[in-house]
Amino acid sequence: MNRYKVAMRIGALALAIAGFALLARGQDGLPLPSPVEKELAARAADVTEVTLDKNMLGFASKFMTDNGDDAHVRKLISGLKGIYVRDYEFDKEGQYSMDDLAKLRAQFETSDWSPVVRERERGSKETTEVMMKMVNGEPQGIFVLDAEPKELAIVLILGPIRMEDLGSLSGMAGLAGPLGPISGAQHTPKPNTSSKPADKKGDDQ
Amino acid sequence: MRRLVFFLVCAAALVVPVVVLASGGEGSGFDGVVRSIEHTYHVRATRIPFMGLASLISGASTSGGVRNLHLAQFENFSLALDGEDLTSMVEQKLGPSWARVVRETSRGGREQTLVFMRPEGARMGLFVLDSDGGELDVVEVSVNPDRLNATVNQYTHHHEDNEDRPD
Repeated sequence: MNRYKVAMRIGALALAIAGFALLARGQDGLPLPSPVEKELAARAADVTEVTLDKNMLGFASKFMTDNGDDAHVRKLISGLKGIYVRDYEFDKEGQYSMDDLAKLRAQFETSDWSPVVRERERGSKETTEVMMKMVNGEPQGIFVLDAEPKELAIVLILGPIRMEDLGSLSGMAGLAGPLGPISGAQHTPKPNTSSKPADKKGDDQ
Repeated sequence: MRRLVFFLVCAAALVVPVVVLASGGEGSGFDGVVRSIEHTYHVRATRIPFMGLASLISGASTSGGVRNLHLAQFENFSLALDGEDLTSMVEQKLGPSWARVVRETSRGGREQTLVFMRPEGARMGLFVLDSDGGELDVVEVSVNPDRLNATVNQYTHHHEDNEDRPD
């Protein structure tokens, strides 16, 4: 085998390793803001963005004591890989479309993520969707999309987290509003492995 | 020899101001942000006297829990800010070592909050910019959570002990 071929193979191998590394990082780390998020931010009257990676969460956990509720939250957040919150408040209704919601949801439509709650209230036009990332039967992430006529909230929590833990996290900055509708849930719904979303309330549009 | 020294001094005297002017003269970090706000919005930060001393005292009183306290206050700051412009200016001045963790912005531009964090070994740097429509504050502080917690716990236990003591 000549040197040229060896060099080509080493180069291809290096590229493949780099590709896998990038892919792995994309799966584990917090996502970059998608173009639709920038569009929504431009339309919104008020925008709140919270981005906490593992380092920042580790630091935040040090401010909590080892007593009572603090100990539970400390243990919980020190194990998380990241928290990503986006909250958009609009002046009037109709500032976002179903297409925008589909784009936000699209990056979680993989085999790892399963829809566990889908709540739609026809009268008030409010929608809450919860998706859970399961790896080897263990929860490794939660994605919440809460849409109200004049407000849209996204919460992505990566790491070992269960539905019942959301109530504990709602005290953290930026999470109280978006987690409000679901943080009261005291049960851990079983992930729906089928492609059809689970309806918590059966009045789908 | 004297000529050479004279020539070097003259060259330095000419080059330094040119470099400073070319860089905008605003520097980086906390000072860079404050100067950039002053330059962009034509305002002056209120100088807080003895801020260095206050920083030293806060460090000593918290056993190193809080250090490097910097504060700049822009009073009567009612200008509408473009959230995107403000964020990119602060990000540029602080540099890539700082991560933005919170951003709250209103379209009217009156209310803006930016929080940045930077790991500094066992410590964490915190940078906060907050505008409420009447005042804009910029704060930077370096925090050691373990030492700060120890100080806070010390006062908490002292307070609890006093409460438990019978009258």
